[in-house]
Amino acid sequence: MEKFDKSLSSRPFAWPKRTPWSLAGVVGSGNLEVLLEPNPKSPGKLECRVESSIPGYKDSWIAALDDFASNYPAGGIKATIHDQGADPIVVTFRLRQAYGELLKKSS
Amino acid sequence: MSRASLFHEQTARQRIASLVDPGTFQEFLPPPERVMSPYLPLLDIPVSFDDGLVIGRARMGGKPVYMAAQVGQFVGGSIGEVHGAKLTGLIQSAARDAIPCVLLVESGGVRLHEGSSGEIAISEAMRAVFECRAKKVPTIAVIGSDIGAYGGMGILTTCCDFRIMTEHGRLGISGPIVIEKWMGKQAYDSSNRALVWKTSGGKTKFLLGDAEILAGDDAGAIASAIEALLEKSRPLTLAGLKSRHGDLDTRLKKFGKTSDPHDLWSGLGIKDTPQASLASAKEFVALAKRKSK
Repeated sequence: MEKFDKSLSSRPFAWPKRTPWSLAGVVGSGNLEVLLEPNPKSPGKLECRVESSIPGYKDSWIAALDDFASNYPAGGIKATIHDQGADPIVVTFRLRQAYGELLKKSS
Repeated sequence: MSRASLFHEQTARQRIASLVDPGTFQEFLPPPERVMSPYLPLLDIPVSFDDGLVIGRARMGGKPVYMAAQVGQFVGGSIGEVHGAKLTGLIQSAARDAIPCVLLVESGGVRLHEGSSGEIAISEAMRAVFECRAKKVPTIAVIGSDIGAYGGMGILTTCCDFRIMTEHGRLGISGPIVIEKWMGKQAYDSSNRALVWKTSGGKTKFLLGDAEILAGDDAGAIASAIEALLEKSRPLTLAGLKSRHGDLDTRLKKFGKTSDPHDLWSGLGIKDTPQASLASAKEFVALAKRKSK
């Protein structure tokens, strides 16, 4: 297992009054689940927690997460990932999917 | 619901959302609560926020239901301590509140990594099902995905009042690979999908009477099947059990030496097996003309 936390700079997410959460994906082979939750303590940061069954890919993880943090206003969000060997493209896709769900729940 | 969304392709949460009245599902112990397996991390296996089971309360056609959906992709939808406790708690709540309980089953049974806790959890869940049945609170199992219901989950499913299956669903105790490992590939070839589905799939289980309803692979058909059962329950009586044992005895006498599942189908009244294999659920039910039990 590879487990780490990473804080990445990101423009603040426009939270509504209520504080929703969103989930995308499942923990299965080549897949992952990502939970997005409000994290009001650091509005300018996307706080990430990654737990992956495959060790040794921390750099790829940070590249994928940083790409997401700079493309979308995700500051003030906490992302927790349980991974079972998802490709980077799946990581990006699941993050985007959960983010879309969060936007829908926030509007 | 259009054919555009096949029930067996949906995730557990999507399945619940597609069956219940829009916006009525309230999840118990949702992912942010992080009630997760304490054992999997010790074995270096990733955990899931919901431990592979989504539970909660909703409405169907305005009527309250308790509903659970298993996540087959997470360790085969298997039942560990947390998964099992959530399942048991939900069924016990159904008994307490006299609200029907609907289980969307997708599980290979007990999670081997949490063997003893899983076995205990399954028996507690069974006890809760029988508590519901004693109180005439309907328990309905829906098997609408390829993983189906095996092992302890197969047993739990058969304890419920009713079973709704789609042709994708499978129901059994030992899974195909387990049978092959014990009996040999010549006896049972688990890679032969036609054989596997003809012996444990929804159509066969419907013919045998192990599943009361065969529904199409879409949420609309499954939702109407569930709604039709929400006010029905089947009392568990000694006479009923004896009659069921009689049926099983007859089945064994009639088909005990059959090695070709096609003989089983024709013996159960299906004249044109290839046609019936390709038939939709509705067409199959018409072809089967199963004697009502």
